[in-house]
Amino acid sequence: MTASQPPQQTSPAEQMVSTTPEVPPPAAAQLKPTERPHPLTPLVRGWLILVAIAIGWGREIVTSARGDQFEPGGLAWFLPVIGVVVLLAAIAGLVTWYFTRFVIDDEELRVETGAIFKKSTKIPFERLQSVDIIQPLAARMVGLAELRLDAGNSTTKLRYLSRGKASRLRDYLLTRAHGQQASIRDLDQEAAASIFTDLGVADQPLVKVPPQRLIVSFLLSTEWLVPAAITIIIVVVTAALAALPYALGGLIPLLIGMLTLVWRRLIGMFNFTLAESPRGLRVTRGLTNLSSQSVPIDRIQGVKVGQPLLWKPLDWYRMDVDILGYGHEDGDNNESNASSVLLPVATRDEVALAIGRVLPGFDLDAIRMQPSPTRARWLRWFDFWTLRYGWDERTLITEHGWLTHVRDVVPHAKTQSLRIEQGPLQRLLRLADVHIHTPKGPVNAVAHQLDEQAARELALSQLDRARAARAAERQHRKVEAVRTDDHEGESELLAAFGIGRDQLLGSGGESEVFAIDHDRVLRLYRNGHEAPRQTAAQLQVLYQSWRGSDVGVELPLIIEMGERNGRLFTVDRRFSGRNFSGWLQHADMTQRRPALLSFLDATERVQHLPSPVPGFARLIGDGAPRQFGALTELLSNMLAGPTQSSRDQLERDVPDVATVWNQLQSDLAQRAVTPALVHGDVCPPNAYLSQGVQGPVVTGIADFSPHTVHADPLMDVAGALIFLELEPYADAAADAAWLEAVAVARHGREIVRWIDVYRRFYGFYFSNAYEFDPTLYAWCLRQLGRSGGFQ
Amino acid sequence: MEELFAPPAYEWKRLSPKYRSMQMLTNMVIPPALLTIAAVIVGVTSGKWWISGLIWAVAVVIVIISPPLVTRSWRSWGYVEREDDLYITHGIMSRSLIAVPYGRMQLVEVESGPLERAFGLASVSLKTASPETGARIPGLTPEEATRLRDRLTELGEAHASGL
Repeated sequence: MTASQPPQQTSPAEQMVSTTPEVPPPAAAQLKPTERPHPLTPLVRGWLILVAIAIGWGREIVTSARGDQFEPGGLAWFLPVIGVVVLLAAIAGLVTWYFTRFVIDDEELRVETGAIFKKSTKIPFERLQSVDIIQPLAARMVGLAELRLDAGNSTTKLRYLSRGKASRLRDYLLTRAHGQQASIRDLDQEAAASIFTDLGVADQPLVKVPPQRLIVSFLLSTEWLVPAAITIIIVVVTAALAALPYALGGLIPLLIGMLTLVWRRLIGMFNFTLAESPRGLRVTRGLTNLSSQSVPIDRIQGVKVGQPLLWKPLDWYRMDVDILGYGHEDGDNNESNASSVLLPVATRDEVALAIGRVLPGFDLDAIRMQPSPTRARWLRWFDFWTLRYGWDERTLITEHGWLTHVRDVVPHAKTQSLRIEQGPLQRLLRLADVHIHTPKGPVNAVAHQLDEQAARELALSQLDRARAARAAERQHRKVEAVRTDDHEGESELLAAFGIGRDQLLGSGGESEVFAIDHDRVLRLYRNGHEAPRQTAAQLQVLYQSWRGSDVGVELPLIIEMGERNGRLFTVDRRFSGRNFSGWLQHADMTQRRPALLSFLDATERVQHLPSPVPGFARLIGDGAPRQFGALTELLSNMLAGPTQSSRDQLERDVPDVATVWNQLQSDLAQRAVTPALVHGDVCPPNAYLSQGVQGPVVTGIADFSPHTVHADPLMDVAGALIFLELEPYADAAADAAWLEAVAVARHGREIVRWIDVYRRFYGFYFSNAYEFDPTLYAWCLRQLGRSGGFQ
Repeated sequence: MEELFAPPAYEWKRLSPKYRSMQMLTNMVIPPALLTIAAVIVGVTSGKWWISGLIWAVAVVIVIISPPLVTRSWRSWGYVEREDDLYITHGIMSRSLIAVPYGRMQLVEVESGPLERAFGLASVSLKTASPETGARIPGLTPEEATRLRDRLTELGEAHASGL
């Protein structure tokens, strides 16, 4: 996100200039009312210094008390010194407070500090990477909070503001940081966050860590048990030898280390809540010091899932993430690595939930892991059996350790560089390590002790995968930029129908759909989509022609079509029920399976719709309806467009793509069928579900498109099964396999081979998805990689 | 160079022979010279010349084993600019191969210390967002170093992708 700012971003200053003809003189800008932090600030800061002195002094007593007698008389001269220091600190705090001023309004974010050396920091809104709220105990008691602004490598701290104000400013700044326009005045009415967790009203908690679990997990963690065991051993042994005082020199640092651990892992992580906020994930935690931190998902560079040995029976895990830029943070109070904790302790399901937010559709346990060869035991005798690595089309995983079992996950798109390493002993054993470099943070992905050949293959293929992923991301960003463009002028159009963006029902690659009322929806086509006007007009005619034919499935209907502000829109009949895809995410298997059966039924009913032309034909698109002499001619015509644009990409990503292509052509040439209507894209997002007498039933099929043809009816049957695999719920693949078995039972064994052929057909057909949808493209590659073909 | 570290279908580019000369100087001349001075001081101050003898013996060993080691180490270095990434390899005992995709380079630096300048050498380092990358090519001629820097910067821009 650092590299490409959306081009339409104009800085607030520019907008100001463009709306007012006379540029205001710089002096006028200076006169803008600035604010000081909260007046109680010096008090809180003075108190913090007092605490710091007390701690330092306390340590001094502890160390000096070793061996010698403790002398309370030494306190007498110390007290006035403390008094003076506190007084000086208070004065310094007052001065700092007096000279700190800030402006946060619709135009700018500026912080001015310094009594003698003035410093003015102006941060462009788009540069803000995160806005966190930190509340040390003292500040919390008087209801104050620190606002911490991260931009690039610099951190600006505003302390202290009242808590409500800090959280309102945070929400405002995050909105602006995302490039959206907002006015600060709108935010004043929003309800304040709760005192204990600092979650806003709009925040949806995903995972809450109960205190009991946190405490138990801490006591069972390797990091705690090892120093605790060492301490006990030292105490027991030295006590037995009557030499305890001599061991104190070693014990005290150990105890301090353990206290720090308690502080960081227990008190710092208390009340840990991972929440979904309107602008990404948000983490709040802390018993005394409360901190609330936003997690920018697009800046996450890697995920680490760890499990200390004793957590294993409880099935608990710890999850950390590499966040770009957070590694630089100089630990203010030993919190530098705390800010990368996504979950201090969580169950398997909670980890899956969090991973689903960070890497959508990714299943940690689904990836096939490969072990290192057993001869690695000569070098890694202590953990050779735990060394494993694996990858799928989006991420690479390495695994090691048993005292603390660690899995490091790096998305291909985030891979920085690679290193193969081989020491002299490894050379004797023909082993090598592969390091996958990620930005600074807890994730450290190393595939240890691989066979030489495997190491080389892993490294070279990883470079290819990373390159492909980067290219896909670049494309994705371009498309996103176009999409944000679309929002311009859209509100006016929505207002004309008396609706707002909150009526959004769903959005796809070509259009967004908003509810108008119970019977109608507004479909807004995206800019830059090819010939939507022609498509919509052809669809209107097609839908109209089906009005008389009842096949037992609800079908779409375009009531009105128009253009406004250069945006094409149609008013469509609203489907009854709800979207099938959304429902599938949350349904359990006993509900899903009957619904999927009805989905297959609905798909098969669509075949009975009449086609406007006989024979094999494309029904929507340029020159449609266009007839073809044979199925192969039609299908080749369909493939020509997409493969032309994806050809280079496929040659890179599919081994021996020419053979796959030729095989597909010769397979298709053997297919002999009577043509029927084919929707072409029957997938759950295009289906609607209503409550039937015996449970939920798919009752509507929406979104006919340029994919719609008059061709082999089996194409839709195959599509219904294979596109199901793209659904983002956990058991989608299993459901697809089950539905395939059902279809085979209905239509006979021989369709298995044709489903396989159409898998490869759609693999080619949607391969231009590399430009805008990496998940779909990865799916295509999987279809093309299947060892297809038959005699 | 064996299979594991060879770049596919490319030839390694080697370092300038002057780098070997510089390494010879720093390994074969300077340590023995320092050891000799130490030996003389020990001998003169303590009068125990047998200790000096031992120190000299170490210096002699260094002089004898340096040339083959330096040559091997010099030969172990290699780099190659591939289509999408830069490969660097080096090391005799512990070998490594680093691959840095052009799209990930954030910074390309040319450095030349006083000793390197005296030998007419420069080194190029590549920085990515990861501190572990540590990709550095020493012992290049200044022309090659500048060429490489310009070429890499250009390729970096062409392949640039956000984080």
